[in-house]
Amino acid sequence: MENIIEVQSLEKVFANETALEDVSFHVKKGEIFGFLGPSGSGKTTTIKILTGQLNQTGGKATVFGEPVSGMKKGESRKKIGVLTDNSGLYSRLSIYDNLKLYCVLYEVPEQRIADVLALVNLTEEKKKVVSKLSKGMLQRVILARTLLHEPELLFLDEPTSALDPVNSQHIHSGLRELKARGTTIFLTTHDMNEAELLCDRVAFLNKGQIRLMDEPGKLRKQYSDSTMTVELKNNEKVVLTSTAEDAGKMFDFMSSNQVVAIHSNEPTLGDIFVEVTGRKLS
Amino acid sequence: MTFSMKRVNAIFQKDLKDILRNSAVSLTASMPLIIAFVMGKMSDDIAVDGHYMVINIAMVTVGSFIQCCLIAEEKEKNTLRGLMLSPASTLEILGGKSLLSLIAMMIIVLIGAFLTGYHPEQIVVIAIAILFTSFFFIGLGTLLGLLAKSVMEASVIIMPFMIVFGFGSMATMFADKYPILKVMDYTPNTQLAAIAVKVESGIGLGGVWLNFGIIALWIIGVFVLTSIVFKRKRMD
Ligand SMILES: Nc1ncnc2c1ncn2[C@@H]1O[C@H](COP(=O)(O)OP(=O)(O)O)[C@@H](O)[C@H]1O
Ligand SMILES: [Mg+2]
Repeated sequence: MENIIEVQSLEKVFANETALEDVSFHVKKGEIFGFLGPSGSGKTTTIKILTGQLNQTGGKATVFGEPVSGMKKGESRKKIGVLTDNSGLYSRLSIYDNLKLYCVLYEVPEQRIADVLALVNLTEEKKKVVSKLSKGMLQRVILARTLLHEPELLFLDEPTSALDPVNSQHIHSGLRELKARGTTIFLTTHDMNEAELLCDRVAFLNKGQIRLMDEPGKLRKQYSDSTMTVELKNNEKVVLTSTAEDAGKMFDFMSSNQVVAIHSNEPTLGDIFVEVTGRKLS
Repeated sequence: MTFSMKRVNAIFQKDLKDILRNSAVSLTASMPLIIAFVMGKMSDDIAVDGHYMVINIAMVTVGSFIQCCLIAEEKEKNTLRGLMLSPASTLEILGGKSLLSLIAMMIIVLIGAFLTGYHPEQIVVIAIAILFTSFFFIGLGTLLGLLAKSVMEASVIIMPFMIVFGFGSMATMFADKYPILKVMDYTPNTQLAAIAVKVESGIGLGGVWLNFGIIALWIIGVFVLTSIVFKRKRMD
């Protein structure tokens, strides 16, 4: 499959600290790639480099096969959408007027506004002035604006970090729809559940280095200790492994009708992150 | 570098809608008019210097101060980032951001001149001179707005510049005592007033080219600085 983003030994050193060190990864066309890490691990720095807002101090990064320094060209910008925590809206203008400006800037017809508002579920609110919107609505308007020009590649920097679960779900379903339409998404988050829900592949970032990278399902299997927990009617919980002895126990529990539930003890991405980095997220 | 008037106009339209809902801006813009109104009432025969005091204040408050605040607000609210990430070029963004201040400044200068009863001898030369000097004031506002992080910060940073370029011509009166103030003779506002005085005494475009030249140097300086700062900010 075609690689949309390719990053090789990327390095970013600020005046007094190293933000990224030997970071290598690629993002395939049409996938949601999760870049996971606690605050300060270098997620935003990576997005800034990939979108031409910051120069790397070492390594190679290409987007659409072009070095990221080319991201400053208008034609490249039309192919990408960027949502970061410092994306803002004009607070005295309506949702509609905010989007209208961007239609002209990206040279897309004004009819697109209706499409993107429907996608983020804000059709009814389009006349509302931005200063009157809730945090969740604001974030959805910014997402709508990011989607106006139907970017092939979307950079989302913690898109749901400030949102409640209901609003997060709105965004999640929107992102799944985009993926279904073939959009490639580079998503940073420190929310492991979000990553499990959405991402085809994830990379764990800690202190500027990638510690682990794979599909969430594979990671969970790889880090699973192959045990299961059996809940019994007497409220007892028994951990069983794959041995002949434990199989015998299981047979007994089942034949005496004591089993309420069986859970496989797969770790969550959060558990794996802690195991790999020795650090808790957020 | 692309230049599409559509994009410039879209940014202008956006600013226009925005500014009509921004009472702080309309209040600031009316200040030079109040001064002009009071001056016009107090005296029927205002000297050229008097007219240019009003014109200068109008240029520095609308052209520089308001422009500076508009740019700083885009930074404070993180909207400038969105413009920079869009396909719009530097020229389109800064052109769009300047158009409203330029037009507003022209309107305020015109009304101000009407209120103080300014009837220049050679209206064309004066119009060109004022428009030309505007570029400096707009550029100055843009530059300082880009340097500030918030509207609050912008309104503080710009103060010394407002005094020098808005009210500085008054300082030349004390130049005998403090020779350092002689430099004020070369500021764009003093040069503009000098053009006006020459024109009033019947000198045409040919006699004021040196003054235009000095103003041009200021414009070039401020434009070069602005584009350097903008490129820097584009890269965070
Ligand atoms: N402009 C900057 N100047 C200096 N250090 C910076 C700058 N931007 C980020 N950093 C540092 O780089 C590291 C990574 O930051 P960032 O990419 O914002 O992390 P994240 O987005 O994962 O929270 C942090 O230690 C941060 O302090
Ligand atoms: Mg960040």
